[in-house]
Amino acid sequence: MPSRPVAPLWRWTLPLAVGATLVGAWALASATGQFPRGTVPAPAAVARAFATELRSGRLLDDIVASLYRVSFGFAIACAAAIPAGLALGRSAVARAAFLPWVNFFRTLSPIAWIPFAIIWFGIGDAPAIFLIFLATFFQVTLATLGASAAVPRVYYRVAADLGLSSRQVLLEVTLPAILPQLLVALRVAIGVAWMVVVVAEMIAVRSGLGFLIIDARNGLRMDLVVVGMITIGAIGIGLDALFARLARAPMLRWGSER
Amino acid sequence: MTAAATQVPALTLAGLGFTYGATAVLSNLDLEVYSGEVVACVGPSGCGKSTLLALLGGHLRPTRGTVTPTGASRTIYQDGGLYPWLTVAANVALGVPRAVDDRARAARVADWLARSGLADFADHYPHQLSGGMRQRVELGRALVADTAVLLLDEPFSALDYQTRLSMRRELAATLAERPRTVVLVTHDIEEAVQLADRIVVLSARPATVRRVLTLPPGRPRAPNAPGVADAEQTILEELGLS
Repeated sequence: MPSRPVAPLWRWTLPLAVGATLVGAWALASATGQFPRGTVPAPAAVARAFATELRSGRLLDDIVASLYRVSFGFAIACAAAIPAGLALGRSAVARAAFLPWVNFFRTLSPIAWIPFAIIWFGIGDAPAIFLIFLATFFQVTLATLGASAAVPRVYYRVAADLGLSSRQVLLEVTLPAILPQLLVALRVAIGVAWMVVVVAEMIAVRSGLGFLIIDARNGLRMDLVVVGMITIGAIGIGLDALFARLARAPMLRWGSER
Repeated sequence: MTAAATQVPALTLAGLGFTYGATAVLSNLDLEVYSGEVVACVGPSGCGKSTLLALLGGHLRPTRGTVTPTGASRTIYQDGGLYPWLTVAANVALGVPRAVDDRARAARVADWLARSGLADFADHYPHQLSGGMRQRVELGRALVADTAVLLLDEPFSALDYQTRLSMRRELAATLAERPRTVVLVTHDIEEAVQLADRIVVLSARPATVRRVLTLPPGRPRAPNAPGVADAEQTILEELGLS
């Protein structure tokens, strides 16, 4: 049974209250010496580290570096995956030939590619972007294929009646018809890409939020590790909210309200 | 307008057959639909009525025989033929032929929206409309093209009874104003008898023409109009339902 919706005021105050309780419990445990020394930093130490990193501009640089890699890798993965998914949707022969391989690579963890990524692309942005591409390309290809298979046939009959060219059918029928379902898949994929970039940055580069964490660990700066974790989580929520907001555009709302 | 008045064929089906895989759907169908005539096709459920309409609309190719249309046609579907990502006005605008320039297109859409009482809903999306309004928009998208042939695939069957009755009346009024050749596929015998000049009763699959009934002029026919009760009875007998 669906539960009743929560009033707008509670939608903000409830999660803040849960967060405040967690931080309160953490502060209390730290103050009363519940954690073994050096294992969990105190909230105040994390806050101080946050302020220092922000003032020095290092945190912002790391955020920009990570977001750049994710958006670049994600964009080229989508640019390749959406046409690939549509092509698979159109051809049974292509599906028979490629679908098992798409599934093979989709289930292969992108982390397993790290040795090759470094050997092929060295150190820098390229290996991280390559890993993000691998983490999202196969997922988005499959999602596009699934969404295009679900387009009602009547839309294409109407298009034929209306005399639309094949280019118009692609741009004015197929793409808008798959968009709501595709956006859901992109929302999941950007979350995966964000997780992968942190791992990639721990190994293949010397900047970004993943590097911030691994570098802080090497210096036994657990307060900085937590700064990195909080920043990663907050940006993850932001990326998710961005895609959720896109899905509420007037021309896409039919996907959820029909 | 009745068939007898013109007798110019708009659609000719000769020895039409359609086989899907190993299943024979239609077999040896012969029929002429005259210009300005409304022909309803009724038949048992699953007999291939929608396949027949897809053949008439050029969406399927016959595996035997021929369909000879004399011009372009537009099909109106049961439900869900509107593009849900486009507004009412944009859906109707799609129906206007490509050759028409943007200003004339907008004028034609505005005129149709005003006449059908949907002007206030021009910027609404299909999912924001009632079933009856959606079908009116479908009808509009087909009518703004001004094609001579309309193919209707169970156009009102997803609607409630009262809306269905008023939509039939609207369709009859539209056809009185600008006569077109109509092939209406329906499982609703009452609808066929109210709207059609002739009714083609199809057999079970593989469908072939069992009988053709000609109705007295005047549409939409009231339930007590002459010939209505007899026609309904005949169709029920042909379908083995009386």
